[in-house]
Amino acid sequence: MNPTNYLVLSAILFSIGAAGVLVRRNAIVVFMCIELMLNASNLAFVTFARMNGTLDGQVVAFFVMVVAAAEVVVGLAIIVTIFRTRNSASVDEPNLLRL
Amino acid sequence: MVHLAVPMAETLTFPSLQYRAMAPILIVLGAAVLGVVVEALVPQAARRAVQLAVTLGGLATALVFVVATPGSELGVVAGGTLAIDGPGLFLQMTILVVAIAAMLVVAERRVDPAGDAFAPRASSLVGSGEEQEQTRRGWSQTEVWPLSLFAVGGMLLFVTANDLLILFLALEVMSLPLYLLAGMARRRRLLSQEAAMKYFLLGSFASAFLLYGSAMLFGYAGSLDFAAIADAFRDKPGQLGLQVIGLTLLGAGLLFKAAAVPFHMWAPDVYQGAPTPITGFMAGAVKVAAFGALLRVMYVALGGAAWEWQPAFWVIASVTMLVGVVLAVTSSDIKRMLAYSSVAHAGFLLLGVVAFSTAGLSATMFYLLAYGLTTVGAFAVVMLVRGPSGEAGHLSSWAGLGRTSPVLAGVFALFLLALAGIPLTSGFTAKFGVFAAAIEAGGVWPVIAAVVASAISAFFYLKVIVLMFFARPGPDAPAVVVPSLLTTTAIGVAVVATLLLGVFPQAFLDLASGSTPFLR
Amino acid sequence: MAVITTGLTILTEGAPNPGEVVAASGTFALAPLLIAIPLASAVVLLLAGRRANAWGHLLGTAASAASAVLGVVLLVAMMGQPEDARTFNQPLWTWIDVGSFSADVALQLDPLSISFVLLVTIVGSLIHVYSVGYMAHDPDRRRFFAYLNLFIAAMLLLVLADNYLLLYVGWEGVGLASYLLIGFWYHKPSAATAAKKAFVVNRVGDFGLSVAIMVMFATMGTFSFAGVNETIAAVDPDTVTWIGLLLLLAACGKSAQFPLQSWLLDAMEGPTPVSALIHAATMVTAGVYLIVRSNAIYDLTQTAQLAVVLVGTITLLMGAIIGTAKDDIKKGLAGSTMSQIGYMVLAAGLGPVGYVFAIFHLLTHGMFKAGLFLGAGSVMHGMNDDVNMRHYGALRAAMVVTWATFGLGFLAIIGIPPFSGFWSKDEIIKAAFAEHTVAGVAALLGAGVTAFYMTRMMAMTFHGKARWEPGVHPHESPAVMTVPMIVLAVGSAFGGLALLFVGNIEEWLAPVVGFEKAAGPIPTSLLIAMTMAVVVVGAVIGWRQYAMRDVPRMAPMQVSWATRAARADLYGDAVNEAVFMRPGQYLTRTLVWTDNKVIDGAVNGTAAGIGGLSARARRWQSGYVRNYALSMLLGAVLVGAALALVRFA
Repeated sequence: MNPTNYLVLSAILFSIGAAGVLVRRNAIVVFMCIELMLNASNLAFVTFARMNGTLDGQVVAFFVMVVAAAEVVVGLAIIVTIFRTRNSASVDEPNLLRL
Repeated sequence: MVHLAVPMAETLTFPSLQYRAMAPILIVLGAAVLGVVVEALVPQAARRAVQLAVTLGGLATALVFVVATPGSELGVVAGGTLAIDGPGLFLQMTILVVAIAAMLVVAERRVDPAGDAFAPRASSLVGSGEEQEQTRRGWSQTEVWPLSLFAVGGMLLFVTANDLLILFLALEVMSLPLYLLAGMARRRRLLSQEAAMKYFLLGSFASAFLLYGSAMLFGYAGSLDFAAIADAFRDKPGQLGLQVIGLTLLGAGLLFKAAAVPFHMWAPDVYQGAPTPITGFMAGAVKVAAFGALLRVMYVALGGAAWEWQPAFWVIASVTMLVGVVLAVTSSDIKRMLAYSSVAHAGFLLLGVVAFSTAGLSATMFYLLAYGLTTVGAFAVVMLVRGPSGEAGHLSSWAGLGRTSPVLAGVFALFLLALAGIPLTSGFTAKFGVFAAAIEAGGVWPVIAAVVASAISAFFYLKVIVLMFFARPGPDAPAVVVPSLLTTTAIGVAVVATLLLGVFPQAFLDLASGSTPFLR
Repeated sequence: MAVITTGLTILTEGAPNPGEVVAASGTFALAPLLIAIPLASAVVLLLAGRRANAWGHLLGTAASAASAVLGVVLLVAMMGQPEDARTFNQPLWTWIDVGSFSADVALQLDPLSISFVLLVTIVGSLIHVYSVGYMAHDPDRRRFFAYLNLFIAAMLLLVLADNYLLLYVGWEGVGLASYLLIGFWYHKPSAATAAKKAFVVNRVGDFGLSVAIMVMFATMGTFSFAGVNETIAAVDPDTVTWIGLLLLLAACGKSAQFPLQSWLLDAMEGPTPVSALIHAATMVTAGVYLIVRSNAIYDLTQTAQLAVVLVGTITLLMGAIIGTAKDDIKKGLAGSTMSQIGYMVLAAGLGPVGYVFAIFHLLTHGMFKAGLFLGAGSVMHGMNDDVNMRHYGALRAAMVVTWATFGLGFLAIIGIPPFSGFWSKDEIIKAAFAEHTVAGVAALLGAGVTAFYMTRMMAMTFHGKARWEPGVHPHESPAVMTVPMIVLAVGSAFGGLALLFVGNIEEWLAPVVGFEKAAGPIPTSLLIAMTMAVVVVGAVIGWRQYAMRDVPRMAPMQVSWATRAARADLYGDAVNEAVFMRPGQYLTRTLVWTDNKVIDGAVNGTAAGIGGLSARARRWQSGYVRNYALSMLLGAVLVGAALALVRFA
């Protein structure tokens, strides 16, 4: 299969992720959309690694997965704390800091 | 980075690691790990003292190692992934100095009757009995220290990262602890938690940009290495789409951390909500790290495409400073005003980056040193002016401070004058350096925009000075708390640096220009 | 500071024109002390706090006097040097040196700067003495003296700097001191507003200076006076014109010249000694100094010179007309200051025929205008701080000394020979006729109007019938105030003669600024006769109207449109308001804080505009994460589009 297709898929995934960040209200879903963007990048890295004939891109993918896991830990900690305070995980609701 | 050919080579060659050159990074990260161990093993009562010793000791040792790095150790090390060169060391030094000053402020326990600036347990419910009980018992969240150390370690790595993977990893190591630290304030916890969430979501969003941009550049250049990317931009025509998308997204990710318009909107909210010592740390040290990385990426990896990104970046720089100062004019919260001012300063700094010259590089580095220290000092002062429910953030409560506590008001006035770039303070020297570099690089219009922005900025900085010295204190005038030796030291260092870099800056200018150029 | 520097080595630069730069040694190495003494005193006064209340004013006065003595010593030493070797350069330390960009902290002592030094320190010292009495009952007198000393130090730095960048430091410094002193009585909202207005308007001027310095650096790679003088000839003429215009903008801001004149009248809210020192004798003339100092630039650009002449001419008429209609004695004098500085700017725009006389008039004006302001202060002191001349009248008997000293200042400013104003103003009119007939006519007319408004002021204050408010008992001021007035009056009377014939001001300044004798179409004697005629006519009209007739206690409302316009500062503020303020105000109304705190009041035009812009822009900062994310995404798209445009185009 033509590797370019994987790149197109990765671009689509990245766009879906970015769109999700913009339209979804639930912080967890927003966060999952960001994870989707990271994974789209992973796919691109792996595809390019294949196209360029190096392993670097695949190694990157492993590191990104680890980083994403760490991000989940931090992100959930923050979101859960906010949820406990406000009984809501909406990203629109905490809106005291503005102007 | 381990470079493996496909098909797999017969033997796997382990890269040689230059431990001396990497020592500062290893020391700080090692101290951070030690801090985690301390959390687990040392009893609650002794923990703070031990953590403080580990943190300051680790940072100071790292600073000594940075300053004492022999010239023979300079070079691209660890299999090409780290560049320990002049700019890298200068920026590491700056980060460590700023971080030490910031940590002294973080350690302050005397200004808040309940303890330090952090919630006893960041996880406990806001306003719950549990929280009150913890406060009563005088608990403190000593994880602040290892988290800060991890962030500093990430920063040290960020400014020396010489390939895209390390760049991303360093960014995350730096950012993740900061997301948490932003949400740990003892007072106004709702604001603090909101700041943490905003910072986290937007920061991760920006990281995703950066990562995807890196993927595109990797696809274009076939390598993660900055030098190889630079070669590709020089030698390899075609694949313009990859070039443009890669450059854009990588740039966006870095400009987010630098708080440049239009990626700046998190800054005022996060600066206002985060605990003030952490805000100072972020405004000072993160700015240095972000611009350090931006400089290396732009100068080394994307240097070959400079003619391509320079026009857009001139515009970003001009818009950033104008938007920053215009927004600052009407902000009524002191931390928010300083946040907008930090956006404006990002614009001034960008002038030096876009200049794309040795002069631009050294001017930007000098600016970072001057700005970082002044900012930490300014936020430390903000922490000391308090009303009944914590810091008196609203500008109106700063009225008449010059009459009630002239020394503190004088110090703050000095910081503000430096931020405004009034001559004989560090801010003036720094600004003149980047302006001159930008003019030499042909950016006359951006510099004119910068002069206009400086003129506007003087207005709101002086507004605060006038308020402090000429207005009468209001009925709810805040009290100024006398800090312990820790904060006093930090403020003292900032004052000395602000004056020294303004009146006798030559030694540091020489140091900055002697630290160029980047190695690749 | 000086101790470190006395041993510093010679700056080995090529000899610039004019004359030779000599490294400062011996007596001349003391120059940094001129600045250091008042600066140290200011620091002590500010840091010592209330402990210094008892002796603060004495220290401040002593510091200023010490600088004055040192200035005289330096003058005597300089007079002992050969004419072409009177420029002394003293590098103190390398301030900023990065790559091709280098700036030294270095002082230049030459006939031009020493003239200013003496003006600033001597007039400054007299005003310090006067202030001891004038501010005797002010609880913040110590702070006032600290600011005065700070001002003296900054002003001396301004005139002693050997490059534009250091000049800019002093320029900002005097601006800051002026700002602090105008707003000194901050409890008066009008003072707060005035301080803010002065600040905003001055920023416009400062902008001109900083851009001029940038352009100089970009084109010549230097901004030392010597370096610019040397290389300016090789610069593209258009650029030279731009530099000239930008410097003119700076001068307009600092010297209250059209179109940036509006702040000076409001600045009269400050204590009177401040008006005398800063807003009459010294700081406001810094613009003239800047133009004269940049003579090498202006000599190369006809366009910029013409602009300078134009600005000077307009302002000298405008200021004089405003002066005719003000009932507030200080504002009347402020209009007069604008007008007289207009004369200086006009002279400075005339090239080598005028530079010397611009400075000459600056020096004589410094003496007589300071004297007039101190006289006005003395009158106010005796009249319970009333400034309205319609409430004065017949004060001669009650205040003989004030009357006599004010009278001498009056004779000097309207240009009656042999008083000092005659010599300097007459030379400017002569030079103006030689170069631009229109400017000459305007200058001549201005002299007549000056005579009119000054006679009006003199008559309304000291002659005619008493129109005092009930309960006012005019009395002469104490000796600590009258003695400085007497000294300045003597200066007003004989300063011009002394400078011209004893000091030989033309030859004294010629090595620095160049000098040519003006050769006009009208013979000198005829010109003097014409000037005298115009002055006498103006004075007689003024006298008839205000001394022979009764002056109404209320300003008459049925007056011509011209008087109305003049009363309204020729609608300067109305224009400001229409251009900047109205659109801004609409948005500003939404701002709560800025408007009802200290800095409120009439938010000045530009400030309001930016405030409004700011309020609108802040709405983007909505607090919604998703909006922020959208802004980032759109930003990235825009950046990408821009990059693509560059890349593919």
